[in-house]
Amino acid sequence: MTFDKERITNTSKALWLCLHFPQLPVEVFSRKQKELPKETLSETLSETLSETLTERPIVILVRQRVAFLNPAAKAIGIRFGSSMNTAYTISEQIISFERDDAKEIAALTHLAQWAYQFTPDVVIKSPHSLLLEISGCLKLFHGLDNLKSLIRDELDKLGFSAKIGVNGTPLSALCFAEAGLDDNLGDISASLESVPVQHLRVEPTVLESLHQMGISHCGQLLSLPDDGLNRRYGVFFTDYLRRLTGESPDPQKFISDKPQFRSEITFLADVTNLESLVFPIKRLLGELHDFLRGRQLTVNQFTFRLAHRSHPAQELSIMLASPDNDPAMFLMLTQLKLDKIQKMHEVDSISLSSRQFFELGHVEMETRSGDLFQGTRFQQKDGRRHSKAEAAKAIQLINMMTARLGPQSCFGLSLADDHRPELAWRPVAINARHEPVAIGEGNVRPLYLLRSPSALTMKADSPCMAGKLDLLQGPERIDFGWWDSSEVNRDYYIARHECGALYWVYCQRSNNQWYLHGIFS
Amino acid sequence: MSESLNNLLKETGLWRASGIDRECRKNPGSGFPDLDLELPGSGWPADGVTEFLHDQYGIGEFRLLAPALARLSQEQARWLLLVNPPYIPYPPALAQAGIDLSRIVICQPKTNRDYLWVLENALASQSCSTVIAWPGKILDKQIRRLQVASKSGHCWSILFRPEQAAKHASPAELRIRIRPYTSLHDSTALELKILKRIGGWESESIRLVFDDQLHRPMPEFNEMLIKQPSRHEPEARSFTDPAITDRPRPYDYQ
Repeated sequence: MTFDKERITNTSKALWLCLHFPQLPVEVFSRKQKELPKETLSETLSETLSETLTERPIVILVRQRVAFLNPAAKAIGIRFGSSMNTAYTISEQIISFERDDAKEIAALTHLAQWAYQFTPDVVIKSPHSLLLEISGCLKLFHGLDNLKSLIRDELDKLGFSAKIGVNGTPLSALCFAEAGLDDNLGDISASLESVPVQHLRVEPTVLESLHQMGISHCGQLLSLPDDGLNRRYGVFFTDYLRRLTGESPDPQKFISDKPQFRSEITFLADVTNLESLVFPIKRLLGELHDFLRGRQLTVNQFTFRLAHRSHPAQELSIMLASPDNDPAMFLMLTQLKLDKIQKMHEVDSISLSSRQFFELGHVEMETRSGDLFQGTRFQQKDGRRHSKAEAAKAIQLINMMTARLGPQSCFGLSLADDHRPELAWRPVAINARHEPVAIGEGNVRPLYLLRSPSALTMKADSPCMAGKLDLLQGPERIDFGWWDSSEVNRDYYIARHECGALYWVYCQRSNNQWYLHGIFS
Repeated sequence: MSESLNNLLKETGLWRASGIDRECRKNPGSGFPDLDLELPGSGWPADGVTEFLHDQYGIGEFRLLAPALARLSQEQARWLLLVNPPYIPYPPALAQAGIDLSRIVICQPKTNRDYLWVLENALASQSCSTVIAWPGKILDKQIRRLQVASKSGHCWSILFRPEQAAKHASPAELRIRIRPYTSLHDSTALELKILKRIGGWESESIRLVFDDQLHRPMPEFNEMLIKQPSRHEPEARSFTDPAITDRPRPYDYQ
């Protein structure tokens, strides 16, 4: 056993693991629901779930013929290629979907991103397979058997089933996975000897011709001379065989290391109440969390997309004030967002996607204050240094408010370097870095500024505002901005209203019109 | 006193007037010694709802709070939340008052439901030092909820309300009516009346004078008003004036 392990972990040659998803066209619609403790769910919820939990026969149609079916459908006697009418005569319980290539590609892409946690070298092999180059990661996962069982467990959680094949070249691994053969870590040609030829990825006419020649196994095929095969089936076939056995190199196109996340759950029966969306949402968020943890990332925005059969899809975007990876908080914010939905159409499928990712370390650097003795009894006690937990709590409030009220509803304030009063400030995103702007010690400014100055009426050559205004101090001339379109040319005064309030008024010098611009509250 | 009675007093959190001053004396001052004499604990409270009743913006109601807000923003790493302020809280003025702008958050909920939701959640979140709001219509049971939330979140809740609200009772811990005090003062002056406070009756009017000198008319300005330039005065010559261009240029003297 120890010898065996040595051999596995010390492979310097490439080793390919193929994940073949034969049920993918079915599983994109019916990702097998994980068993969950029922007592934790409310009654209505468990009712709708039990419907999805018990396996119902599902068939996938291509040109009105059954092309794929799940085990439940197989069990009741539906066969490949039978028509929909035949299927319905067998059972009325049957659910049928038209095959959806786009969904399959999306699911495969999602799975490829998921597989990135095991190895960076992941290849998508259409239609239904992934290839993982695992020679570099066997040691990390304590050998092939552990890795395989880990992959199986994780896939089970995701609701996909895969056949796993391991061999020395990409094509032979693919062949092994499709044929359902044991792992091979040794000689490739020798391992292929007993594989039936129909598992090779060659055209059906070639297969037929091979059968007619009396060749049923790869061993027979590989012992034939190259130039004979070349003449008979063309150069592509012999090239395929050479790549299969590793005689010639077979470069692969790995998925890019740019992270992306998109996962979708399709409902077999339309969901009409918000409450029953909670479970799939939890599941999607769990997947997002696993993804983030696997890639050491955080997000600051994710989007749920609720697809309706007869209405345009609805999107729920959740923005965070700072990148995070806490699934409990994600769920709470999503629920806040769901509470805002007044009327919901029946939901067909729900997907979760996220595009912008941040490295985990980046966030920690941000929230950690520069105190070397943070968390010890020597830490600074001036009250400004706050612990990470406090900072997280402060951000959580902002997150909650933006989730409920929309991203534009919360902002901070900052100074801007401009003499025009309306441009001397700007709203900023919370937690944005405040650039130091010199505060003019000189003239006093009002604590309230009107968004746009309001014109004052004139009475006997002096401005008034439902009462007399006395000009107390001024003028402060602000004559500025000829270089851009918002030029100002004003004389500012502090004016006292007869009720005792102080206002900041100005006289537009171009037309002698008076305006109220601020309030000394 | 019997032991059971003592236990009752300890466990139920029953409030007794005799304990008030001992408890609250730690409050930091408001920045106005005359006001501190009247406030329970000789300073602004650290939590609970405080109502300011006034009818007019611009009499100095925000400047009354500025020293306290400046201190809170600098001492605590918690937010200073302003919910639906009636005007833009002008950052240059806030900075002049010593308030740390990086702690300020403005929140603008649109519906009344959201408005109350924000107030209650922010107060209870423990991540705000102060929440300031200008509620139009607010019911006293809603104020009671804010009072409970602000106690649990250790957050000072400030409500600016119209003066007519004084007619109705309110669960707020501290209620202060503010009126401008217009006399011959150069500076802003306010007439405060504490309508409700813990451990005390309604107060007499308190006069506060700010040291801002904003109300002082500038003498130079008045002089300028007298000496307005008459319109018939010849205007200064500009560079395009023919009289200037006609002047001999240096090389003409060669």
